[in-house]
Amino acid sequence: MSTKSIMTIENLQATIGDKAILKGLNLQLEPGKVHAIMGPNGAGKSTLSKALVGHYDVEITGGDVIYKGKSIKDMEAEERALEGVFLSFQHPVEISGVNNAYFLRTALNAKRKHEGKEELNAAEFLRLMKGHLEMLGMKSDMISRSLNEGFSGGEKKRNEILQMLILEPEVIILDEIDSGLDIDALRAVSEGINKMKDGKRSFLVITHYSRILDYIEPDYIHVLKDGRIIKTAGPELVAQLEEHGYDSIEEE
Amino acid sequence: MKLSTLKNTTAQELASLLDVKGREALLEKFVSLGLPSKKSEEYRYFDVEKLFEPEYNTPTILPRTIVEGEKIEIVDGVVVSAPKGLRIYYEAREQIDMEHFDPLYYLGHLLSPVTIKIEVDGDAELEIEHRYTQSDSLISYRIVLYNQANRHATIYENFVAEDIENTLVLYGYDMHIAKDSTLRVVKMQNMHDNRYSMVASHKVNVSKNAHALLKSFDLGGDQALQVIKVDLDTYAHVDAGHLLYLNEDSKRGTVSQIVHKGEHSSSKQEAKNILDGKARGIFDALIRVEHSAKYTKAEQNSKAILLHEEAYMAAKPQLEIYIDELEASHGATTGQLDKKQLFYLQSRGISYVEARKILVIAFANTLIETVKDSRHQERIKAAFEEVFYAAHKE
Repeated sequence: MSTKSIMTIENLQATIGDKAILKGLNLQLEPGKVHAIMGPNGAGKSTLSKALVGHYDVEITGGDVIYKGKSIKDMEAEERALEGVFLSFQHPVEISGVNNAYFLRTALNAKRKHEGKEELNAAEFLRLMKGHLEMLGMKSDMISRSLNEGFSGGEKKRNEILQMLILEPEVIILDEIDSGLDIDALRAVSEGINKMKDGKRSFLVITHYSRILDYIEPDYIHVLKDGRIIKTAGPELVAQLEEHGYDSIEEE
Repeated sequence: MKLSTLKNTTAQELASLLDVKGREALLEKFVSLGLPSKKSEEYRYFDVEKLFEPEYNTPTILPRTIVEGEKIEIVDGVVVSAPKGLRIYYEAREQIDMEHFDPLYYLGHLLSPVTIKIEVDGDAELEIEHRYTQSDSLISYRIVLYNQANRHATIYENFVAEDIENTLVLYGYDMHIAKDSTLRVVKMQNMHDNRYSMVASHKVNVSKNAHALLKSFDLGGDQALQVIKVDLDTYAHVDAGHLLYLNEDSKRGTVSQIVHKGEHSSSKQEAKNILDGKARGIFDALIRVEHSAKYTKAEQNSKAILLHEEAYMAAKPQLEIYIDELEASHGATTGQLDKKQLFYLQSRGISYVEARKILVIAFANTLIETVKDSRHQERIKAAFEEVFYAAHKE
């Protein structure tokens, strides 16, 4: 990989509770590239995504995360989000009583305020939403319902992608975005992700399976095992992993 | 007047202190119940004795000419304005429940020689504003309210205190909800700055096939308790919702008894309590199903969120049942804001304070959204935000 990166993860060590999960992880995310992280269960994939967005479960005990030239490891979650780091959750929470559209507009206007832009009123916001909803195959009533409440697994993931489209982040972390999706939902979600590719944004796709990678073509495959990246290669590595499993990978 | 002097007094002694001519039965009832103290079951979570210690001025309630206005305005217990055509007047005495559990219900009546009588015509929508202007005073007044059979009326109640301090308000309704009618009462009370304390003691009679919707939104600080007794006739229904959002060292809440007297009567009582600072919320609520009330349906629930480690919720839902043929449930939970939800909002760039506000309002929304009138709903939301930001100022 080139040394030009939008995010550099340096020797990252992190624990959940007393358990060390990340044990010196190094990774550089390049602008405009799709990085896929693959690895066996318990390797630390979700911990990595949580560490990058400042999740309360994860304590960073060593190393650093440099984003656009500055360390973000001590930043609050909302600061990281405002700076353009986005995590699509594996299991988005349901929040009864919080209208989805209100939530999205509040989040968007927080970001616009942070960027010195004028906030959008309700009408302007709904116009912005309309096209995204159609592309994602989301029913319009989904934005008037409570946030993720009663949504199917596929609807929740589409809603995550809708948030991504609205907030236009620069580093997009997708934690098992393909889990629980049928083929139609997978296509719609992938289309949303591909729409965000602009040659500048960077994607970190965390997945167990290769099927999402048929839709979102990765530039790099990183194998995460026991808290560290043990191999980085091009998309051709996926076939080897499919055929021989993670045990076939030797640490570089 | 110092109310603590009424403690352990005989009817004879009290009769010499208060003008009770023709109301001896009330006096006997009050004496038998006694001035409440922290040992009284219904006041055990509320520091009522503190309210009886000061020496209060007792302004005389002098009925005066009611001028025409958009709403019913009651200043220090006196009606000063009301909408044109509304039947509102003073009467010496009205039907009083002789089985009320609250001694202050009787004391309120004893201290109010005349009551304000309001007869709500048709499908009216009324606004009542209570305004208090006098410091160091005991303001006591009673309202008797009637609606019409087969009609559906709504009352919005609001409270305003001018720049006063150390006043105690004892007031309350005797509501008579006519058969086949609906009466919806929405109370919003945002209290702060130790201007006044209140015990509001109500009695609600719900006639055959009638519906009572009693929604209270009690916000802010100070000390106040609403004490409610509801009697349900055959096929009568009460839907009671109580939202508490308290801060500082406030003590407020609801003590209630819903009594199912008629067959097929039903009740739903829901309390949502959000407590910040050192606030104490009270939900001490009994549903009693009498022998005569076969096929009753009763549902009672209290949920509380504590936003501060020193906040406290006293939740005591109770069922007292004398029959087998009924459906009844009750429960109470106390918790904190869900940190997963909080993080989810923050991970989208919403600040910690705003994320808390969103979750707190979401918790309250199921009750706030029962207020159908958008103007009043917005008023409640605005008061809610005011309380929130007062507790979250930098």
